[in-house]
Amino acid sequence: MGKFEAYLLDILRHKKKKRIVILLVLLALMGSIAMIPTKLVLAKMLPGKSADTFSIYIDMPTNASIHETREMAQCVVSRLQKVAGVTDMEVFLGQGAPLDYAGLVKGSAFKRFQNQAEIVVNLTDKHHREEPSFMMVHRIRPLIQKRCEPLNPGTSIKFIEMPSGPPTLATIVVEVYSKSESALRHMSERVSSVLKKTDGLVDVDVMLDDIYTTYMLSPNKDKIIQSGLGVDQVNQIIYLAFKGMPVAVKNTKNQQDQIPIFVRLDEHSRKVQGESKSALHHKLSNLRLMNKRGMMVPLIEVVDIKAMPSSPTIFRKDLKNMAVITAECDLVSQVYPLLDARDTMLKVLKNEYNITKTPGISTYMFDLNAVDKKTGEKILIRWDGEMKVSLDTFRDLGGAFIAALVLMFLLMVVYYKSFALSGIVLAGSFLSIIGVIVGHWITDKIALAITDVDFFLTATSLIGFISLMGISARGSLLLIDFSRGLIREGMEKKEAIAKATATRAKPILMTAVAIILGSLLLSTDPIFGGLGIALIFGSIAATAVALFFIPVLMDNAKAMVPAEEKICEEGDGTEKEGKDVWCILTDNLKTILFPKKKCDDDEEK
Amino acid sequence: MEVYKIKNIAGHLSKAFLGNPLTPILAISILLLGFIALNTMPREEDPQIEVSGGAVVVALPGASPQEVLNVVIKPLERKIREIKGVEHVYGTAMNNFGMVNVQYYIGEDRESSNLKLYDKVMQNMDQLPRGTMPPLVKPFDIDIDIPILTAAFYRLPGTKMDVVGLYKTIRELQTDINALDNVSKTTLKGVKRPQYNVLIDLHKLSAYHISLGQVAQAIKAISTNAPLIDTIDNQKKLVVFGVENAIDTIDDLKELIIAQYMGSPIYLKNIADVKYSYDIQNFQSALISYQKGMDVHPEIIRDGEPAIAEREEEGKNKAQKPAVFMPLDSQITMTVSKLKGTNAVYIAEEAIEKIEASREALNRAGVGFIITRNYGERANEAVNELVHHLEITIFIIMLILIPFLGWRESMVVTVAVPMILATTLFIAQLTDQTINRITLFAFLLSLGLIVDDAIIVIENIHRRLHLDIDKKSVDEIIIQATDEIGPSTNIATIAIILTMVPMAFVGGMMGQFMKPIPLNVPVGLAVSLFVAYVFAPFLAKKWLNFKKIKADVLKHKAEHEAQENAGKEEA
Repeated sequence: MGKFEAYLLDILRHKKKKRIVILLVLLALMGSIAMIPTKLVLAKMLPGKSADTFSIYIDMPTNASIHETREMAQCVVSRLQKVAGVTDMEVFLGQGAPLDYAGLVKGSAFKRFQNQAEIVVNLTDKHHREEPSFMMVHRIRPLIQKRCEPLNPGTSIKFIEMPSGPPTLATIVVEVYSKSESALRHMSERVSSVLKKTDGLVDVDVMLDDIYTTYMLSPNKDKIIQSGLGVDQVNQIIYLAFKGMPVAVKNTKNQQDQIPIFVRLDEHSRKVQGESKSALHHKLSNLRLMNKRGMMVPLIEVVDIKAMPSSPTIFRKDLKNMAVITAECDLVSQVYPLLDARDTMLKVLKNEYNITKTPGISTYMFDLNAVDKKTGEKILIRWDGEMKVSLDTFRDLGGAFIAALVLMFLLMVVYYKSFALSGIVLAGSFLSIIGVIVGHWITDKIALAITDVDFFLTATSLIGFISLMGISARGSLLLIDFSRGLIREGMEKKEAIAKATATRAKPILMTAVAIILGSLLLSTDPIFGGLGIALIFGSIAATAVALFFIPVLMDNAKAMVPAEEKICEEGDGTEKEGKDVWCILTDNLKTILFPKKKCDDDEEK
Repeated sequence: MEVYKIKNIAGHLSKAFLGNPLTPILAISILLLGFIALNTMPREEDPQIEVSGGAVVVALPGASPQEVLNVVIKPLERKIREIKGVEHVYGTAMNNFGMVNVQYYIGEDRESSNLKLYDKVMQNMDQLPRGTMPPLVKPFDIDIDIPILTAAFYRLPGTKMDVVGLYKTIRELQTDINALDNVSKTTLKGVKRPQYNVLIDLHKLSAYHISLGQVAQAIKAISTNAPLIDTIDNQKKLVVFGVENAIDTIDDLKELIIAQYMGSPIYLKNIADVKYSYDIQNFQSALISYQKGMDVHPEIIRDGEPAIAEREEEGKNKAQKPAVFMPLDSQITMTVSKLKGTNAVYIAEEAIEKIEASREALNRAGVGFIITRNYGERANEAVNELVHHLEITIFIIMLILIPFLGWRESMVVTVAVPMILATTLFIAQLTDQTINRITLFAFLLSLGLIVDDAIIVIENIHRRLHLDIDKKSVDEIIIQATDEIGPSTNIATIAIILTMVPMAFVGGMMGQFMKPIPLNVPVGLAVSLFVAYVFAPFLAKKWLNFKKIKADVLKHKAEHEAQENAGKEEA
């Protein structure tokens, strides 16, 4: 009848052409899957999304004062004022900005020190702005960091974008676990220096307190007792003098709050001339305490000043001491910089440590175990952050995918009572992966050409792929049903298949077109673009597979011909019930394992 | 005329509803319900991720991090580890205090998690070391902790407003906003509270031979608040009297006598700078820098056209020039959070209305404001944009079906799609879901899937009509056509539903984030089957032009016969 039908019949009638079709499909499958390890298609969990706002976290050295922090914030703000598209900035000194999803996991709510600040930067409406926020951050990040960070060495300025999916502490989080504090410090220095040198990683920060000099006043017991003072009194007076405290409150009739009366030394008296032991000594010598007898005793007489290093905060996770090093990815997927950094680490740390990789495949498979060659100290380097979440997600989605395959297969087996036919449906569904991967490659090339941003294979692409399976299964299902119906009516197998495919081509195409058009808008979304692309190219591939490959498979499958021709049923028809299952199984196994032979037989006949 | 025997549920459904007068009413009510759901469901930008966890803060004054670690953090961590469902325990030991952050597995019930944490801490209160302050248990509460609206209030340039005055002004407004329905919590950030500051000059202090302790003692002694006292008079009536706080104004404080030196009294003002000001010991502050015009025309600036704003303001016709920013200045940010399960869009709108209403008064007092965050609007925008996308997509699909099926048939599909979406949306509302980006993406994703059933039904009706219209009644053809494709459509739809189901069991943040997809797509698919069997045949019967089809078919047949006859004759 139609050209297409004749063409199909031609393929089905020639063994060679059938082989070519199978070969082509297999080649396409191998080729497309090979695109992932060869990095032609890049994987990432979730891509960036353009927003109308982003935040900047400023972390000064641990002993920075609020004034220094304010200066830093001022520097950042004055740079931002020159950036087109910024409408307003709110600076929060010594505290976190109002919580958002990113801040929730990044510890924004716990900020309360003088060396911390957050800046919320609001931008013009993204629909009217040419530059997406992630590109803007990418552009201004080096400018601001280069300009402002040197003002106070040890400062880290981090750019926090609105997460497009679930938020994590940072894109790349390296946790270093060790029992010894010094080993932790040393190792985290090494790790952070490796991360800093890795391409694509920015905002590298070690979340450890800096160690600085503190001065301890140790009370001289004898002198305190002799002069009739108490240690408690000394503590209180020093606190009152330099930090100050509200000593009383006054209730007011016309205000909502009480008014505290706050006592402290004035600015001039509080100021220490330079940071040194002698300056502090000089300051304290002016401060006098009154003893029980009403005599004034200079404070400095009863205490000794000692300089000592500060005791840094201890961080623990799951009952183990740890240090955290965080880094963000600058527009690139986190997978490749992570692997690069890990390789470098293996090389760099080899001299000092005995390093072993974590065996087996788990979502902690990138972890490294290091043993210090000199001290025998054990250190665990663990990769967490978005990578862990991605691996978990890909693992779970992979599991979901396999579960979906199994469920579908079982359903098909129940419906057709044939493993071969169910296998065909499944193969047809699975092959849409060719379209998904190739589609991502094409889109990536287009995206790079137009906007200079990579298009990644994301978790949503996988979701698209899973839902595609159902769609393409429907196509194969209709084909098989129709062909079998025609065969049952007495048509020759090959002709029936060709005719069925030709008539069913219209609804299959229609469905594909509907999906492709339906997903066009989806593919422009930053997050669900992967899903859209997967659906568009996947259904193109699925249609091609359904129209060319499935007929070939159907022709090879013996189960296409209705059941009464089966060999094993010829025996005793009485025990059919019990034997039925076995019969189907063996029959189908034969067709699956030796399809070529069957064809040969057919053709010989 | 042979009677078709219905074999599948598809045929039964279509038969039951085909001639039923309630069918159009049902259709309309479904559409209405969906419309109502679309407008009343709480809107969010991103779906809620059930993150449970909290922090336990224990203060141990004077202890070093190592001490805090040993006596507070370690025992506490061990105890918290005993709680079921805890994924990670983070301990932080600092000078003077320790903190243990607890993170439950994603998806753990928040209320019971909070309860368990609180319970565990309270049970072990007796084991806390001496000298610790009572532990503070702070559970995460995203609904309350993540504000949906923030507004920055700042001093207008050129006005005399001080930071304390700013605070007093905003404080009033905060109370008003807190009174709005469904607002759960409002906070102020960057607040400077009023305070009497007594800043002592150390040199004068030593010159007069006074100690700091004396000053503190003197102030404390005079400013006590006492309750009123009552007694009875000789007529057995109540007489109430009390001691007034001796400090009423700043001058009372200034004139406070601290000590005697060489026979003359020393007032507080002699040794200290006494001022009514703000809490200077609080280093936390908030600043703002905004583009000029943001306070007057935020919409215009946000749309990225500063030139226009400028023009309106200055009346000049200038080309676009770099934006002018106001220098950093103090501000107070008010945050507004909503109650769980309420619609952020409406709450944000109401709160903004309230703030806008007092714009005049605020400006007169020298206070300007900028809305710095509006999640309500963002959610609304995201939802509306996607709804718009959905509409466009449905329209495109309709257009594409016309050449394949004919416009009447494609109209049937076009009406079927909103009905499916409406039902799915209504079911989502019944199951306490919110309408967010992911829900709508689920709809967009399922669009390609759900049109299928309707397409297949209508295509088969179309095919059957052209085959049999001269032989059977229209009703029968429609029922037969629907019934025929029943088995394979059922199985195919079930297959797709099955592929979606495992996604519901994906764990972690991502699983939670994507949850609307496995929740809604299967529902949509199931509904699409129902709609395809019930409403597609019904609509086909109402809308298709049977006379024309019949005429076409007869004409076609006649032509065919004529041709055949011609062929025969030729032969």
